[in-house]
Amino acid sequence: MRYVKLPSENLPEFFNRLKKLGKVYAPVQRGSTYSFEQVEYIDDVALHYTRTVLPPKKFFVRPRDPMFKLRGSRWEEVKDGEPSVIFGIHACDIHGLKILDRVYLGEPPDPYYKARREKAFIVGISCMPDEYCFCKSLGTDFAMDGFDLFLHELPDGWLVRVGSVRGHEVVWENEGLFEEVTDEDIRHFREFEDRRAKAFKRSLNREGLADILDLAFHSPVWKKYAEICLGCGNCNVVCPTCRCYEVCDKWINAYEAVRERRYDSCFMESHGLVAGGHNFRPTRLDRFRHRYYCKSYFGTEGFNCVGCGRCDEFCPARIEHVKVLDDVRGVSYEPV
Amino acid sequence: MNPFKSHDVRILEVRELTPREKLFTLRFLDPEVEENFTFRPGQFVIVDVRGFGEFPISICSPPTRKPLQLCIRKAGRMTRFIHGMTEGDVVGIRGPYGNGFPVEKMEGSNLILVAGGLGMAPLRSILWYAIDTGRFEKTYLFYGTKSYEDILFKDEILYLLKHGEKLNCHVKLAYEVETPSCIYLERGFSEKVCRGVVTDLFRGEEFDVHNTYALICGPPIMYRFVIRELLNRGLSPGRIYMTLERRMRCGVGKCGHCIVGTSTSIKYVCRDGPVFNYWDALSTRGLI
Repeated sequence: MRYVKLPSENLPEFFNRLKKLGKVYAPVQRGSTYSFEQVEYIDDVALHYTRTVLPPKKFFVRPRDPMFKLRGSRWEEVKDGEPSVIFGIHACDIHGLKILDRVYLGEPPDPYYKARREKAFIVGISCMPDEYCFCKSLGTDFAMDGFDLFLHELPDGWLVRVGSVRGHEVVWENEGLFEEVTDEDIRHFREFEDRRAKAFKRSLNREGLADILDLAFHSPVWKKYAEICLGCGNCNVVCPTCRCYEVCDKWINAYEAVRERRYDSCFMESHGLVAGGHNFRPTRLDRFRHRYYCKSYFGTEGFNCVGCGRCDEFCPARIEHVKVLDDVRGVSYEPV
Repeated sequence: MNPFKSHDVRILEVRELTPREKLFTLRFLDPEVEENFTFRPGQFVIVDVRGFGEFPISICSPPTRKPLQLCIRKAGRMTRFIHGMTEGDVVGIRGPYGNGFPVEKMEGSNLILVAGGLGMAPLRSILWYAIDTGRFEKTYLFYGTKSYEDILFKDEILYLLKHGEKLNCHVKLAYEVETPSCIYLERGFSEKVCRGVVTDLFRGEEFDVHNTYALICGPPIMYRFVIRELLNRGLSPGRIYMTLERRMRCGVGKCGHCIVGTSTSIKYVCRDGPVFNYWDALSTRGLI
């Protein structure tokens, strides 16, 4: 890894130069929440945000995403993938994108996702956890790859980790904005990381969790929470790794239709419904449990949760992910 | 290449099998695609009805015979639309998807095909594949339907009831609702047709469990009973294969609808299936 320093006074200029790479999206404050939006000036960016409502997956797996247009009786591919810069992604969201990459870039690669992903320049930013974050316990509090540049806050600037060839090129082309990293910067970086590590209030115990969960398939805990759960699917929409989509054909006018995919949620009754009316997950209990199993899958594809805390913060029923899993763990020890 | 783009196919023939099911015979408009389209029994395709949507459907013709055939039940909006189509109409197809039956592994063995209702459609592919290639020892087909009127591929089933033994194929039929046609059929083939459920057809049948594979397809409720019957007879779980149905949207393991399993084993039915053996079912919760 290469490390350089971006002094505070150079940040606005650095931000301006990023615009040459494409449209710049960054977190901005909207009332009490944050959202990734197109930004012109660094002053509009919420550098110390906690988490956005929608994770950066929205740039790659869009809430509504046209795939084809029907003209006459032929489908035409909808092409897009403008170059973009996603500025200020937290480490957990970078891990979330890596999980999406595994799915969407795996054979056969999804052409829509791939085009957008390849044209996106990712700038990560350091953060302090709040009461919902549990990324440290999942090892997703620090990103070693999956970004082009990563900014770590220092008292007088930013320690920049360069994570890709494109990142190197950008630093190279803007050499004048960067400085060498000094011993003092390294001390500050270490101090920040120490302070951050101590700031986590929540952690998920992953020890043996896969088998414990599997054995707790009939645990009464699922029922307890499924009764509180509203089945609204909020947790799915805000999750950086949830990616279920539904495909719909929609007529624009009498001659033209569009095939688009939309976010789907495993909390919707229609999610497991097949033609003829049979439903493989007919009750809310089935669907609630399914989401937890999907998020807590331990396999070659890895754990499907990055501990960002969105599902907790935006759950109207105040169900806490870690608490549910801890509860299941507790019950599964006792003979049912 | 966009994996979600379908190829145009022309409907060559529409045959009414029952009031609910129609058989569509299809040919790709692009001769190169038509030439190169290969699949294995048990795989499925996604049918694209332009402007109305896509739905997954098992291939019901064998790879040994062209053109491609799909048996489609009128079950929803899109299938109702395609049921209204006639010869000459054009739809789209992408695929084939999924793993299909492990035909190479099963060569030289007996095959027991256990079909319930519409489950006959994917099994018809392997049935005729087995008859056409002659690579299997003996093929049994145990087919359970609601009534005589619901028998899919009636002409073929009747033909095999009559002449199956010559083709090394032993067909038996169970029906639930008695109608005059059934009684007539039962009279004609007293040993092969009976009133009851599909597991009743196993009665009186002997097969070498070490040289037999069972392939099951039918409504979800059927699997448990058929598997119990097969296990009781000593068939190893690794020799019991079943093809499953889920809401498959993309067909390539992206859209997430067909995910089954728990924290230790998650499977995409479209990519890892739709054919699974009983070991998979034992290690993946929610599979059956």
